[in-house]
Amino acid sequence: MRTLVELADTLVADFDVLDLLVLLTDRCVDVFDLEAAGIMLAAPDGDLRLMASSSEAMRLLELFELQSKEGPCYDCFLTGLPVVNQDLASDAGLWPHFGPVALAAGFRTAHALPMRLRGTVIGVLNLFHTEPGEMNAAEIAGAQALADVATIAILQHRAVLEAQLVNEQLQGALNSRIVIEQAKGMVAEREGVSMEQAFTALRGYARKQNLRLGDVARSVIDGRLTASALSLRPVTDPS
Amino acid sequence: MDATQLGKGGPRRSLILARLTGNGAFPIETRRMCEVSAEITGMTGAGMMLMSGDVPRGSICSTDGVSALIEELQYDLGEGPCVDAYNLDRPVLEPDLAHPAAGRWLAFRGPAVAGGARAVFGFPLQVGSVRLGALNLYCCRPGNLTDEQHADALVMADIAAQAVLVLQAGAPPGGLAVELEECADFHYVVHQASGMVAAQLDSSIAQAAIRLRAYAFAVARPLAAVADDVVARGLRFDARSGDMERKP
Repeated sequence: MRTLVELADTLVADFDVLDLLVLLTDRCVDVFDLEAAGIMLAAPDGDLRLMASSSEAMRLLELFELQSKEGPCYDCFLTGLPVVNQDLASDAGLWPHFGPVALAAGFRTAHALPMRLRGTVIGVLNLFHTEPGEMNAAEIAGAQALADVATIAILQHRAVLEAQLVNEQLQGALNSRIVIEQAKGMVAEREGVSMEQAFTALRGYARKQNLRLGDVARSVIDGRLTASALSLRPVTDPS
Repeated sequence: MDATQLGKGGPRRSLILARLTGNGAFPIETRRMCEVSAEITGMTGAGMMLMSGDVPRGSICSTDGVSALIEELQYDLGEGPCVDAYNLDRPVLEPDLAHPAAGRWLAFRGPAVAGGARAVFGFPLQVGSVRLGALNLYCCRPGNLTDEQHADALVMADIAAQAVLVLQAGAPPGGLAVELEECADFHYVVHQASGMVAAQLDSSIAQAAIRLRAYAFAVARPLAAVADDVVARGLRFDARSGDMERKP
């Protein structure tokens, strides 16, 4: 319970999602007396990738790596159902590659809990024991609650990131439009032409030099490009 | 864009979404967002303002002239309910502009009341920690919002903020979504005039913009009207004397 409160506090404040996921795997290890815990997320290509782990030991990282193709995480991800209390010694046949490697690494029991959002599974919480033994129903429910917290954290993080990106695009588009209007005014005044003529000159210069209109406008405003260099009027032959 | 992108929620939210999309029309027009904001809260009018870096950038939409004036005054003066709601990151409520909280909006309140606004309310437009601007509601009579109206305004602001982002997400690269420009006033003429004045004074754009605003304030005219004069070449600024010259 204390773990959930601590995690909820982290969620409310401005949080780094990776820090939160690592914290979550650490707490899993403490609360359920495990050897190791990790969180794997589905990448856009559909493969599972390790996002956070309670330990950086190579033998453990390799185990997560293997599960992009086979293992409790992979099964859990495909079915959306928990895979719990898997005795790696007796169930090794289930996973011909993963099983022996996990045993050799010193692990005996594995669990995988789905990180679900409505119909989709976005990732898996993976737990490892070195001893044979079963998690009881209350422990499994507790672990699933932690997996749900991780799901919420990731979804919140994604929504905010996406909103931030679109807002930056919005502000950027508005800014470059404003800079273009300012440059139009400057050129119109310096060269004694209309706003439309000033715009045509700015756009013509941008096209000819293969530059972005916003960048040309900024150069005009900064004084790096003079209004007269835009060649508003065709150069008349002196002869 | 479909309704699911605007999130799910309680009955209040569903009701507002149903109003916004009554005929199943997507994308939601910004004008419709303003109309529904005023309707569901029982206010006289509503408007939405974009802000960035604590500065008003322009209006996305407004239901009527008074609402447009409230936004224009805030753009010109840099103070008012939207500016505060955005900066303070919370709703800002002024139930009687004729007798406002001490010292509130000294420049804004006079012209706003004269224009027909008695009660004004600002609600931040934000998605998570991402702030976009503010929704303003006004009423031609003084009076507080009821709890119900307040709750509706909060939900409306939340939906509107997400809708703005959904609209912009469909914009061409580097550009502003066409739907956001439709009823908007981003004061492009003010920026054109700033460019002209900068050339006249041989100053930076920032200095020119300040001169324009100071002049508009001194002669008690809307900034946009002064900018129109500059662009029409009826008004010039002189670097030496600091005087303005009006052409016949």
